Parts: sequence; C-alpha cells; structure tokens
Amino acid sequence: MAGRKGNILAVDDTHANLRLLAGIFAEREYRVRPVPDGAMAVSAAQAEPPDLILLDIMMPGMDGYEVCERLKADERTCDIPVIFISAKNDLFDKVKGFSLGGVDYITKPFQAEEVLARVETHLSLRSLQTRLEEKNKALTDALEQLKATQNQLVLQEKMAALGHLVAGIAHEINTPLGAIQASINNITNALNASVRELPRLIQHLSFERQADFFALSEAALKSKETLSSREARKKRRSLRKVLEDHEIDDAESASNILVNMGVHQDVSAFIPLLKEKESPFILQTAYNLFVQQNNSQNIKTAVERVSKVVFALKSYARHDDSGQMIQAVVTEGIDVVLTLYYNQLKRGIEIIKNYSAVPHIPCHPDELNQVWTNIIHNAIYAMDGKGQLEISVRASEGADSDPEAGWIIIRMTDSGKGVPDDVRAKMFEPFFTTKPAGEGSGLGLDIVRKIIDRHQGRIDVESEPGKTTFSVFLPIRQ
Amino acid sequence: MPEKAILCVDDEQIILTSLRDQLQRHFGSRYSYEFAESADEAFEVIQEFYEDGVEILIIVSDWLMPDMKGDEFLIRVHQQFPGIVKVMLTGQANEEAIERTRKHANLHRCLHKPWSEDELIEALISGLEM
Repeated sequence: MAGRKGNILAVDDTHANLRLLAGIFAEREYRVRPVPDGAMAVSAAQAEPPDLILLDIMMPGMDGYEVCERLKADERTCDIPVIFISAKNDLFDKVKGFSLGGVDYITKPFQAEEVLARVETHLSLRSLQTRLEEKNKALTDALEQLKATQNQLVLQEKMAALGHLVAGIAHEINTPLGAIQASINNITNALNASVRELPRLIQHLSFERQADFFALSEAALKSKETLSSREARKKRRSLRKVLEDHEIDDAESASNILVNMGVHQDVSAFIPLLKEKESPFILQTAYNLFVQQNNSQNIKTAVERVSKVVFALKSYARHDDSGQMIQAVVTEGIDVVLTLYYNQLKRGIEIIKNYSAVPHIPCHPDELNQVWTNIIHNAIYAMDGKGQLEISVRASEGADSDPEAGWIIIRMTDSGKGVPDDVRAKMFEPFFTTKPAGEGSGLGLDIVRKIIDRHQGRIDVESEPGKTTFSVFLPIRQ
Repeated sequence: MPEKAILCVDDEQIILTSLRDQLQRHFGSRYSYEFAESADEAFEVIQEFYEDGVEILIIVSDWLMPDMKGDEFLIRVHQQFPGIVKVMLTGQANEEAIERTRKHANLHRCLHKPWSEDELIEALISGLEM
C-alpha cells in the first residue's frame, strides 16, 4: 500500500541520509522518491509533483535555498510544502528558509518520530488547504450561477411587468385608431353632403333664416362642452320639453341633433328656424358642418392618445447599454408608467399628483420605471381597482441635520386594504407573495429593493387599512 | 319617437361620438341611438327604455371597460333580454371572453378596432334582419 498516505520527495546529497529517510517513510505507507542533488530534485518535482518535499540545504551545485526558490517560482510546484533539513552545525538561516517559502525545518541528526510528526502535520495542513481551495472554488461557482439565475429572474419579472401592460396597450392603441378611422369616414361623408346641400338650403331660406342658420352653425362650432352620455340624455329630455312647448314638429329628433351639436343652453333664437317647413333638412345640414369639426377634434384627441402611449413605451424601455447611470427626472418615469397603466386606472382609481420641481439625478431610468410599475401594480391590486392613489414627489435639501435632506422623496399612498404586520415583515423577501399562484412571482418587491439599493436609496412602507404608503428615497448627490 | 333603439357601450367618448355619426348617417331617424360609458350606465338606459316601452334591437359593446367587462355585461343582458342582438367591438381580443359571450349571450358578431364602416353596418343590418 505504498503511497497511500502521501507522496514524498526526499532530497539529500548524503546517501546514508537518503536511505534512512526512505526507510522511515516506506515502512509507513508513504511513497518516497529519493533524489541526490538539487537539479534532479527540481526536475523530479516538476515531472511529477509530490505532496511534500524534504530538502537538504547544504548540497554541492544547487543548494536547498535555490531549489526551494525554483520550486516556488514554478506554478506546477509552488504550492508543495517544503521542509528544510539541516545539520546541527550548519550555518542554517531559518529566516531565509521561511522567507523562501519553506514551511518548517528539521535538524540532523533527527529522530524518525519527529520527522514523521512534522511531515504528517504539514501533509494534513496541505490537504486541508487544498480542500478549502476546492470549497472556495465551488462557492465562487455557485455564487456566479446564483447571480446568473438572479439576472434571469430580474429579466423575467421585467417581462412579466411589461406583459401586464401590453394587454392594455393593444387596447390603448386600437381604440384611438378605431375612432380615427370612423371619424375620417364621418368627415368625408359630411363634407360631401354639405357641398351638395348647402346651395339648395340657401335658396330656400329667407335672408333672416339664412342668418339664423349660420348663427346656429357657429354656435355649434364654438361649443366646447363635452357632455357625458348621461348628461346628454338629461339635456335631450329637457330640451325636448322646451321644443314641444314651442310646438316644434318632431321635437325628439330636433333635440337630439341640437344636444349632439352642443347647442342646448338657449335655443330661443333658433325657434323660428326650427319652425321652418324643412327644419329636419336644415338641422341635418347644420349638423353636417358640426360633424366635420367634431370628428376632426376626435381625430386630434385620438392622435394625442396614441402618441402618448408610443412615447411612454419608448421611455419605459429607455436603457443605457453601457450600464452607466444617466441624468433623468424621476417624475417623468412615473408619468410614463401612469400612461401605460391609464386603462386600469382611469375609471376606478383617482390619481392625485403632488409633484414639486425636482432636480435631475443620475439613475437607471428603466430600472426605476420597474420600481414604479411594481408599486403601482401592487396598489391597483390592493385597491381591487377602485380607490385613490396619491403620488407625491419632492426634493428635500434642508439642513444636514434633517434626516430627509439631500433626497428626492417619492411617496405613493393607496387607499387599499392595507398590509398586515406579518406580511409587511416579509414583503421584500424574494419569492414571498400574497397573490394567487400564477399571478405573482414574489420577486417584485425584492427586485424593487435591489434596484433602490443600487441607487443608494431606501424604501419604507407604512400601512394601516385604507392607507398604505411606499416611500422611496433617492439621493440627489451621488 | 322611434320605438326601436340601438345602444352603444364604450368607456371612450371618442368611440361613442364616431359611432353616433355612423349610425345616424346609415339609419337616420329610423331608430333611437343611445350611448353609455359603462355597463352600469347601460343597465340604467336599458331600464329606462324598458319603462318607456322602447325596444332595444342591438347592443354594440366594447370588451375592455373598467368595472364590468363586455362579456359579463352582454351575458347578463342576454339572461334578461335574449332577443337583443349583441355585437362586440373590441380593441383587444380576449379569445376566451369572446367564446364565452358567443356561448352564453349568443354573440352575433365580434368586430375589432379599428373597425371598417362596412363591416359595422353589415353586422348591424344582418343583426336587424334576424
């Protein structure tokens, strides 16, 4: 079983010593390679690195110091422990021995037990060290793998957040497109009708009624009021009564058209016009003029809406590939996210914005957008789509003693059900979620905190039923 | 007053006004046109019409609306008024929701925004002939 306990290279120019050493180790299941001079020791160690080297100092040619120096200079052999052997009356320089990388020394004449004890000690040290290095490497590898996995998860979370938004965005773009398409048809048809019918109308009307007709058209074009459907229904009903009192034929159609045109406040001036025999035709012609303006306004509104969404999408993904922070204003990012969430927010949730002017700060805008997305998404979830979301942004540059000095403070307060204490303690932990399976990765707030850490900021949560505030602090000077 | 009505439900006014002018042009004063910005409001209108004895022939409804979505709205209408023809006009197709509406509300057509005037009018005329 030679070699089970270790592989030792023994170097000594005295053959008697070499034989002695070889005997000591061979008896105890070591494998020993005896070498009689320095140069051979170096090449033997390089050819087959041993676990330990016993090295005589005083040798002709290359002495022990030089052998040690060469071994330490070669990466194949530099980690092998070297134990020096020196005669009692040699001028052995211990300090030099250690400084060259020796781990120990033995004085001749030696006792077998002492040699064995020292060799065993250093072999076990060496093996512990090797194991430690292996463990370290395994840990480093595991850490690298964790980092890669984490990056992957962060990306997945980002895509999931974007996924929530995309469903709404298709609607956000197709709705204005639908309005544009329909409005263009309406305008074209109304224009054709106007060109066809205006001359005939003018021929049939007295000068006075012509003036009334253009006054009506102008009143419609000037009307800025947009009524909700509910308000419009009320106005139509009350206007119909007024017209019926004036004994206007088909008061219903007339009131419909007038309310649609936004002319419903004071119609007394138009009563004579409405009493004309051809009043339905007159109203329809005025309405055609109004349609052209009103549908143009529709198109304008729709185009603004689409541009806003496209701008928001572009800004949402704004990212500097260099990984460097860029100067940006946090409120712009918040508005981008609010635009993308418009669909989910617009009816059930009232947004109250309290923005003070804040300076540009160096940041990763796309990452901060992810922060706002997460907090707002959680708020909508907590409020079940109905409630109030207050967003306040301010810069605090008070005295240095002020704990809030030098920060931009973003507070998002929702009127949702609140976060119970036990949940609040865990909400920033990875994989913790209160959402049903499949709805949340549990990584949202963990990533939020990491992003804020990366900006040297901090995030706090205060919560009671009906009032939950996430406060994000971002440093102004970095 | 026309005794027959067409009801459009969409949370976007720009959609409702453009639909209004399209309907007005194609069907003139043959029908009443009513507009609601949510399912809730639509139920109100349906109730009012019911009380006034006006018959709703067709409902054109958006799908993605706050509070109640179009599929649920049309299914609930169907339970009460199976005779009303239902048309969905949606900016974002959720196949499951459409399928559900087809099954439980006898959905006549599903149109996608941006819609063409021809397909809208065809859907309405074919619905009115039913």
